[in-house]
Amino acid sequence: MKQIATFIVNEKHYELAIESHMLLVEVLRDELGLTGTKHSCGIGNCGACTVLINGRATLSCLTLALTVQGKGITTIEGLAQGTTLHPIQKTFVEHGAIQCGYCTPGMVLSAKALLDKNLNPAEQEVKHALSGNLCRCTGYIKIIDAVLAAAEAMSKEAHP
Amino acid sequence: MARLLRPFEYREPQTVPEAVRMLSEYGAQAQVLAGGTDLIVSMKKRQISPQYIVYIKDIPDLNNVHYSQETGLTIGALATHRAIADSSIIKDRYNLLATACSKIGTPQVRNMGTIGGNICKAGPSQDTPPVLLVLDARLKLVSLGGERVVPIDTFFLAPFKTVLQQGELLTEIQIPPPPPTSAGCYKWATKIVTIDETLVGVAVLMSVDSADGVCTDIKIALGSVAPTPMRARQAEAVLRGKRIDDRLIEQAAQVAAGETRPRSRADYRRRMSRLLVSEAIAETWQKIR
Repeated sequence: MKQIATFIVNEKHYELAIESHMLLVEVLRDELGLTGTKHSCGIGNCGACTVLINGRATLSCLTLALTVQGKGITTIEGLAQGTTLHPIQKTFVEHGAIQCGYCTPGMVLSAKALLDKNLNPAEQEVKHALSGNLCRCTGYIKIIDAVLAAAEAMSKEAHP
Repeated sequence: MARLLRPFEYREPQTVPEAVRMLSEYGAQAQVLAGGTDLIVSMKKRQISPQYIVYIKDIPDLNNVHYSQETGLTIGALATHRAIADSSIIKDRYNLLATACSKIGTPQVRNMGTIGGNICKAGPSQDTPPVLLVLDARLKLVSLGGERVVPIDTFFLAPFKTVLQQGELLTEIQIPPPPPTSAGCYKWATKIVTIDETLVGVAVLMSVDSADGVCTDIKIALGSVAPTPMRARQAEAVLRGKRIDDRLIEQAAQVAAGETRPRSRADYRRRMSRLLVSEAIAETWQKIR
């Protein structure tokens, strides 16, 4: 039995007819075509399904869609402004922090959750913030470098 | 279209009375949903297929953290691990609880998961139960019939089994004020990797008389070394009322290891229990000195 629910994704409102047993990752990918969010381990370990709900890193594969009606959802698609990349996306590209790209959306969003609260994180704090996002390709070093570089860039932008 | 979960009826009560009324009505056919980091996984694995999901996480006033010097700490059952780990009052007065909550899962899991869900799951390897044991926590359980407050050391019956009745909801955790000149800590070892299930968890809360260095009281609890989280009462008796020294700490750690009843990897768990109890007491002692 479907019900109408309102979702606010990347600041756009969507009215969708969904079933109560749909997970947020299914709504994002199948109903809204936002396939940047990935479904990987399915049990809360890998972080590939990470989105931001009211700014907090959340696992969309363990979230019932109906529970986040009306809450501000940010997916990776919401970061770039047109063709202008978000500073974190920019440094990920510049630092070679992307190989297969599967972990990248979740990684970038976890980094954003950190930097939106703390523009001067220590390396250990970056590692801690990303500890719920697994990468099988890069060995993490360039990812951490990219996040620290983004912090510096965003810091300069905030305090020129 | 094939979906990851089987269909169910979704309910979103707005108040605790509404929630317990639903839980009473639906009985064993309903599951309570808060953070979802455990329930949704079980449902995906088809271990549970509830007909009703009663979503409680947005019920107001169930996630507050409140402290007073007279009555101590009350934590709403829906407080997330993240909120507890970040709470300045908990970091200051009940640091071991902040430590335990900061260890659970990953940052995302900590943003979602609640302390109430953690307690009610009652997995033998969980991190908050041994800490709550040494803190003498009491749990407020609400049902249609009223409410009762249960001391945590009577709450856990067996792995994944508690005294929580059908139709009952855990709403609040109550913790007495910390004793004067006391400190505590939580230490653990994981099974394989750093972000992993706890293999041995040790919580210590100790009071020491500043004048003569005598341990006036000590509580030691261990997780993941028995069917339920356990107090190491014989080990506590080794130290209670005595002047602390390294030899006595080692003796207590040895006794604590002997009190454990691990099911799997028993020898390694006993060794790690001894090591972690020793380290935890030593570290706590240092904090008080």
